Amino acid sequence: MDPDENRAQPSIRDSYLGRSRSEAHQTAPGVIASLIGPAAFIYVAFTLYPVLRTVWNSLHTVRAGGLTDWVGIGNYSEVLTHDPFFWNAVGNTVIFTVVSTVLDVAGGLLLALCLFAKIPFARLLRVVWFTPVLISYVVVGIIWAWVFDYDWGPLNMVLRGFGLDALTRSWLGDPRWALWAVMAAHVWKWLGFNMIIFLAALYALPGEVLGAAELDYCGWFAKTIYVIVPMLRPTIANLLALSFIGKMMVFDLIWIMTRGGPLWSTETVSTYVYKRAFDWNSFSLGYPSAIAVVWCVIILAFVVAMNLLLRRSKPLEF
Amino acid sequence: MKSHILSSAFATVFLVAVGLLPGSPAHADVTISVWSHEADQPAKVAFRELAARSVERAHPGTHVKITWYELSAMNAALRTALPAGQGPDVFYLEPDQTDYITSGYILPLDNLINWNEIQSWARGPRVEGKTWMMPQEAYTVELYYNKAVLQKLGFTLPSNAQFTQNQFLALVRKCRAAGITPIAEGVGDRPFPGAYLVGESLLHKLGLGDYGRLLHGQISFHDSRVMAVMNWVKQLVDAGAYPKNFMTLKLGESHSYFYQKPGALMFPVGSWFIGRAFAPASQGGMPAGFPLGIMQYPAIDKAACNECKTIGIGASFAINAATKHRDLAAAFLNTMSTPEMGQRWINTVYEQSAVRTGDVPFTGPYASYFAELQERQKGEKYFLGLPVVDTEDQCRDAWAQVMNAAFPGGLVTADRAATLMDEACYRRSH
Repeated sequence: MDPDENRAQPSIRDSYLGRSRSEAHQTAPGVIASLIGPAAFIYVAFTLYPVLRTVWNSLHTVRAGGLTDWVGIGNYSEVLTHDPFFWNAVGNTVIFTVVSTVLDVAGGLLLALCLFAKIPFARLLRVVWFTPVLISYVVVGIIWAWVFDYDWGPLNMVLRGFGLDALTRSWLGDPRWALWAVMAAHVWKWLGFNMIIFLAALYALPGEVLGAAELDYCGWFAKTIYVIVPMLRPTIANLLALSFIGKMMVFDLIWIMTRGGPLWSTETVSTYVYKRAFDWNSFSLGYPSAIAVVWCVIILAFVVAMNLLLRRSKPLEF
Repeated sequence: MKSHILSSAFATVFLVAVGLLPGSPAHADVTISVWSHEADQPAKVAFRELAARSVERAHPGTHVKITWYELSAMNAALRTALPAGQGPDVFYLEPDQTDYITSGYILPLDNLINWNEIQSWARGPRVEGKTWMMPQEAYTVELYYNKAVLQKLGFTLPSNAQFTQNQFLALVRKCRAAGITPIAEGVGDRPFPGAYLVGESLLHKLGLGDYGRLLHGQISFHDSRVMAVMNWVKQLVDAGAYPKNFMTLKLGESHSYFYQKPGALMFPVGSWFIGRAFAPASQGGMPAGFPLGIMQYPAIDKAACNECKTIGIGASFAINAATKHRDLAAAFLNTMSTPEMGQRWINTVYEQSAVRTGDVPFTGPYASYFAELQERQKGEKYFLGLPVVDTEDQCRDAWAQVMNAAFPGGLVTADRAATLMDEACYRRSH
């Protein structure tokens, strides 16, 4: 039988139903809609609509009785030119993001390399280092608030134990240290996540390349710097981007530990938006929506810039 | 198949008929929804549930369902539910939340509540000449102290229970020199306690009118009278008036800090303090036999009103403007406002009530405390509302960050604090 002829023949059931084989293999639009529909509905209801509504709110103010007034770019103008608290929050967020991201990713890579090198108790350490990732922000905040407590926190107690009383601080109560203290808690929580990703990437590296480096009498340090890290570049880029985006939106830990204080030294854009939206005596969401839109645009711009910066023109060859 | 269809049809008709029958339970039952805060205070829970059951008995077919929220979660839920035309029939509010009034989300209560049963000064806030919230809890800002420690330091409380500025500063210095923390206070989880001393001192200096103008941005914080008070408070701060962990000590921890861990001389706090203090010691309450006393805030030199004191309305309730059960909602509020319920509030919650309770003498194990409190309130003139309640928006945030935390915490000078407050409050009004 001619194979082409065979492909053109409908099945017995399709023949009974009066359909050609090509018609029988086409998925009905209704089926497609019913499969995609729920996910599409959830996306529209919980992602697309809130985003569009936020943009709409940012162009209005809300008066008594839910009445809205069009203000155009008035809210944006206020945010960008007349709000020093917004720019203070931006500064804090940028510092938090950059420093935490670098520590997170570099620290995760270091831990992964330790496990990859099969240090003693590697299996136990993998569990220990990953466990903080599983803990909620509320618990992390409570734990670290206790760690940083002036009177009975372990950090100050250790310092006093070593006779370093002069170094004790009210870590969360001092504007010079509060942001760094919160960063330490945040990095502690997320190191394990980056470690696991890097570990998976390390085990996926081609063994023959690493073997060749060893044959060339390449020491561990040189092998790491000149062979392993370049091959991990896509993973590093992805983790940097993910970490960056997550930290630019940091809210939970700040809110639990300091609520933006002391003296706005830990105020981030997210906590500032929350305060403007829910803590101030106003039902108008126009201004906080404008802040949210501005920040979203800034985050997108940073992500695009980062992708351009980290993109290689030539792929790695091995 | 046929019998299945017939039986289904019969069942459907039967259910519809039941639903349409006049007086059937499904048609007459009404549920009043109430959102309340303070689920962690069993006495208040019992009080409001008692009121709910009373309404149900008085109005057969009515159910009162109280949902208990943590405060900020409830506020966030209200801010999303009310603009959507939903939300409970009755909900907890605090007097500073006037945006619910200006946004039209609550009903005026002038004709719905029996105001004869409510203290006249508690009937606030009034907006457009109307009353919008029913006050339940009242408190004054007091200065509690440990009588034994005061005696140990060699000080005697004056007959009017009020030290002068110089005496108070000397007391703080001597207390710190003796290794005792003069003032137990912490701002780790609240936006108001650190500002009690400076706030009451400013109230004394400026008097009722100008203190209000200061909080509403009509007087600069660099006013000479304000700076005089702030410079004096700075002396107290520099003398070690507050604990070293002032910035992170939580309100609940400050209670036990005052009693015995490690113990302090004074504890500035609202009179709602006894809601925690009179709980069993095993639940964080005051140890039995603790020598608790109440003194007045210090008399300020050349003050306009050293007999002034801040009074506040705490828990209040409002009726949703979109409610379909206005009268039942009002009945719930009125049930909580009878003199008997006011007396029950005092005797079980151990806090002052906004309800008139008549001249019933205080009884029970804490009668002497209430008698002393009453004594300290004789002749006082009251300023209604804490600064953190009376201020708005950026000014409120600045008060919480600066006057409540950074200034008493020793992080900023008096001049810098005044500058920050003016930037947030004074210049925004001019």
